[in-house]
Amino acid sequence: MRDESLTPAIQAIDICKSYPGSPPVEALKNESLSINDNEFFTLLGPSGCGKTTLLRLIAGFEDLTSGELRLYGEDISSMPPEKRPINTVFQHYALFPHMTVVENVAFGLRRRGTDVSQAQKTALEMLDLVQMSQFANRRPSQLSGGQQQRVSLARALAPHPKVLLLDEPLSALDLKLRQSMRTELKRLQRETGITFVFVTHDQEEALSMSDRIAVMSAGRVQQIASPSEIYEQPRNRFVADFIGDANFFQGKVTHQNGNTARFRISPEIEIAARTENTPPAGDVTLFVRPEKLDLLTSATSETLPGDVREISYLGNTTDYAIDLRNGPSIVVRSENHHNGDALALPGDAVHVGIDPSAVRVLEA
Amino acid sequence: MQRIRTFAGIAPATIMVVCFMLLPILIIVVYSFLEKNPYGGVRPELSFEAYSRLLLERDFDDNLSFNPSYLLILFRSIWVAAVSVAACVLIGFPVAYYIAMQPAERRNLLILLITIPFWTNLLIRTYCWILVLRDTGLINEMLLSLGVIQSPIPLLYTEGAIILGLIYTYVPFMVLPIYASLERLDVRLIEASRDLYASRIGALRHVVVPLSLPGIVAGSILVFIPCLGAFIAPELLGGGKNLMLGSLVQLQFSTSRDWPFGSALSVVIMIVVMLALLFYARNARNSGTELVH
Repeated sequence: MRDESLTPAIQAIDICKSYPGSPPVEALKNESLSINDNEFFTLLGPSGCGKTTLLRLIAGFEDLTSGELRLYGEDISSMPPEKRPINTVFQHYALFPHMTVVENVAFGLRRRGTDVSQAQKTALEMLDLVQMSQFANRRPSQLSGGQQQRVSLARALAPHPKVLLLDEPLSALDLKLRQSMRTELKRLQRETGITFVFVTHDQEEALSMSDRIAVMSAGRVQQIASPSEIYEQPRNRFVADFIGDANFFQGKVTHQNGNTARFRISPEIEIAARTENTPPAGDVTLFVRPEKLDLLTSATSETLPGDVREISYLGNTTDYAIDLRNGPSIVVRSENHHNGDALALPGDAVHVGIDPSAVRVLEA
Repeated sequence: MQRIRTFAGIAPATIMVVCFMLLPILIIVVYSFLEKNPYGGVRPELSFEAYSRLLLERDFDDNLSFNPSYLLILFRSIWVAAVSVAACVLIGFPVAYYIAMQPAERRNLLILLITIPFWTNLLIRTYCWILVLRDTGLINEMLLSLGVIQSPIPLLYTEGAIILGLIYTYVPFMVLPIYASLERLDVRLIEASRDLYASRIGALRHVVVPLSLPGIVAGSILVFIPCLGAFIAPELLGGGKNLMLGSLVQLQFSTSRDWPFGSALSVVIMIVVMLALLFYARNARNSGTELVH
């Protein structure tokens, strides 16, 4: 007996998916990744990045063009969806309109041969888990979107799949509901111990729920890491840009001292960055998050002078767009204090403090 | 003024319904309760003779005795229509399903192809079946020349020939409504059922068929009604040997010159159709329920 907790739940080996056409559309290009047992794994990316294709390949709705898919070590590449112990929560719920809520939830169990009374019992337990048991005998059309999504979750969890796939399940819900469903999903994942593969284009969702995130773009995985690593140490410009907000600079290394290097980003401006490895000679991309910058009224040795071009009030924070003197413009995000007054107004001369440890050098 | 406008708006529909539906039905119902005129038409005297003739026979001594022959014709007609409906569902559903699963532009072409038979007169098309089915027809000649049979098998002028003719005539009426309901079917529901361990057949049985039931019911009604009163196929392909309701009604208004009886038969057909509709409507409402609570 293989120890399942050590074998990856899902292992994709060099998988490709292209759709016929002229030229053929490559939705997924030679990708390999592993999803661990009992993990909340998120596929994050803009629409058309291949995340949904990957999900549909795992579910079995699409056939691989090449490569291999393994479920706990077993090759499932050519297995039809009904044979895979994997269930899906669909974006638009896809509840069967001709069945009641409890019949929907019992569907998977019934098809697997569970007898009616046992299937109904399990279905009611599942509805209890998502707090929908009082709606058991309603039709899906009599439920709100949030309620339908809960039923859809219960339906997918009822047969106790080895892996649960979630295809942007929260995108059709309103903001408040979305936030409460996040906690709910996380709780369900913990309680059931089922591996969750979650697809979304919403970075907040991805950051708040996931154990690990795979950021995808143009049919490729750009980075797989924990939410904080993705945010703090993005591997490339795409990841840095897609998750959160970022200031980017092009620069050349001028000199290095220990693990701090100085980069010239414009003829008169140099900034320091902490680097683990020796930065490559030639052009590099530097990036710094707006909230890691300081807005100061007086200059010190490590500040850059600039003029506030515009400010945008965001509630708990304010974004200051600042034109650096003889240099690029930069956005500084600053927390709003008790009275909510802005630290500076458009046209004000300010100084921007950049901590070298906040600046990161990106792969080209 | 506002009321006049409202009435003007619904007037065309009202005139349609009254002139072409309610009035003819009323005339038939009234005629069925009148005395027959020996040379056709009716005499304005109340009589239940037409209805009693459905079940009872008046002998020369004016005694009434039970006569099941019309009842048999009624049952045979219902049987033939029901078999035709069942066959139309079995043929029409796969066809509609196939069309609905094609890319959009291809679908319209295929639907157009389904309607092609309507471009030729029904009478001519039914005559063609005679050429196919008769003893010296296409099928028998072919089987004879292949040595499968030694003498022609009687295909024409059988109940089977009637049913074949009815299926051929009315299967498009089954395909179109089923297609209409399948076209609206969300394919994601099929995916969801496959995801939840339903095989292809299981998805068809538990999701596709239940959800296209309105189309199947509509198609069944559209096929059942004309089959019950069909006249051309029974007459030409059945050879008028096995009388069906349609032929019987036609006879009463022509050769027999018994308008009240013909009208009474029509009323009976209407009642049968309405009962069938009620039965279907009730079934449609209860379908798709898997668990019993």
